[in-house]
Amino acid sequence: MSRSLENILFGAPSPQAQTVTRVVSGVAAVVLLLMAAAVVFRFHSAGQLEPRLWEFFARPTTWAFLGKGLLGTLASAAMAAVIALSLGLVLLLGRLARPRLVRWPSIAVIEFLRGTPTLLLIYVCFLVLPQVGIKLSTYWMLTLPVALSTSAVVAEVYRAGVLAVPRGQTQAARSLGMTEAQVFFHIVFPQALRYIVPALVAQLVIVVKDTTFGYVVTYGELMQNAKVLIANYNSLVPVYLVVAALYCLVNYAISRASKRLGRPVY
Amino acid sequence: MGGVSRLLVDYGPAFGQALLLTWKLTFMSFVPGFLLGMVVTVLRLLPLPPLRFVLTVYVEIFRNIPSVALLIFIVFALPDLNVLIDYEPAVILTLSLVCSAFTADYLRTGINTVPGGQAEAALSLGMRPLRVITAVVLPQALRTVVQPMTSLLIALMLSTSLASQVPLPGRELTALVSKIATDSAAGMAAFAVAAAMYVVTGLLIGWAGATLEKKVRILR
Repeated sequence: MSRSLENILFGAPSPQAQTVTRVVSGVAAVVLLLMAAAVVFRFHSAGQLEPRLWEFFARPTTWAFLGKGLLGTLASAAMAAVIALSLGLVLLLGRLARPRLVRWPSIAVIEFLRGTPTLLLIYVCFLVLPQVGIKLSTYWMLTLPVALSTSAVVAEVYRAGVLAVPRGQTQAARSLGMTEAQVFFHIVFPQALRYIVPALVAQLVIVVKDTTFGYVVTYGELMQNAKVLIANYNSLVPVYLVVAALYCLVNYAISRASKRLGRPVY
Repeated sequence: MGGVSRLLVDYGPAFGQALLLTWKLTFMSFVPGFLLGMVVTVLRLLPLPPLRFVLTVYVEIFRNIPSVALLIFIVFALPDLNVLIDYEPAVILTLSLVCSAFTADYLRTGINTVPGGQAEAALSLGMRPLRVITAVVLPQALRTVVQPMTSLLIALMLSTSLASQVPLPGRELTALVSKIATDSAAGMAAFAVAAAMYVVTGLLIGWAGATLEKKVRILR
């Protein structure tokens, strides 16, 4: 039986402590409400609460446009995730291979992709590749760099999972006469996936965040569409607030899903 | 290789400065972010429901918002609310806020690894709850989060690339590469040099983290 630290420290307060806690709670609530009021007042005094700046959110076209942006974000993120999951597996197999000629280049690729910022890779696809004659669509200019840098991280996550599978599993399968490939794909990897589902889903949040850079290459994702809306309606603060809230909601939903998936399977 | 050496002749000092700026931004946002995250963690333990609620919302917001969206909001939207923050402090503020949210999250996980019996024992010795947190629980929790904090620091270092999205007076590595790629045909070589600098910085941080981890970890 394990109790949370809060419960141990404050679970059984004395009557006096109870009173103190109640008073301090009340004061904290008042202070926080005052702070919220100050923010709202700040909006008001800066003229940001004028209905002119908010009324276009009542139009369905605005939401359709933002929805399209969100779809663009999700389309890029989903493709990047699929590529990263498969390429990550390839990198993992290279990383675990016995011949040094395969293993060392794989390690180099993983460290390189993991160690460079996604934004830098995006700039390469956006500015450098056209110089050498490779033209990508804006979709791939965003998706490819995000997928590449994620795949290296995914490879490391896979590796952590594979190393967590007890060695006896491999030994038992080998002694039954399975080949190394069979052992890996039928015994080790499926179990490894079980361990790392939460980490993989957490990686998905990072992919969604990285696609925010789509506006750099003018790919029509949420941030880019937000900029268009701002230019059209001349309403900066409300649009950015709504977009930030949308991002938070999407990522929060994914994080919650990952917590749920992270519960042990019996 | 000829491309790289010619590039280093032309832009060598610029790369040095860019690397230093990247390091500076990383350090300047990690330290306040880490301290703020620690404060948030401790405040979230207190039995004050309104405070707990607000801090949980705080952590969830800054963990889930893309840093570049936050930076754009701070730089372009806050002036409309009459809050003017210069570009460099804006980048540092963005990264510190994000860093603090992740630190709070990791530290909470670290606290959960400290056996409850220790807190009970400390209480029964007559220590006040806050003293239990600062003297018994937090030091052990800090020792267990060295590894995730190392990863966070590396991620933060890579995130400083978003400073290229605002017109900073100096250029950090990514901004420098994008400038060289726009001005000349040496984009590939510039990218290779910058990438090598990022990778080496990341490996250095990782090595330092692993060394620290070996020193302070608690074997249970």
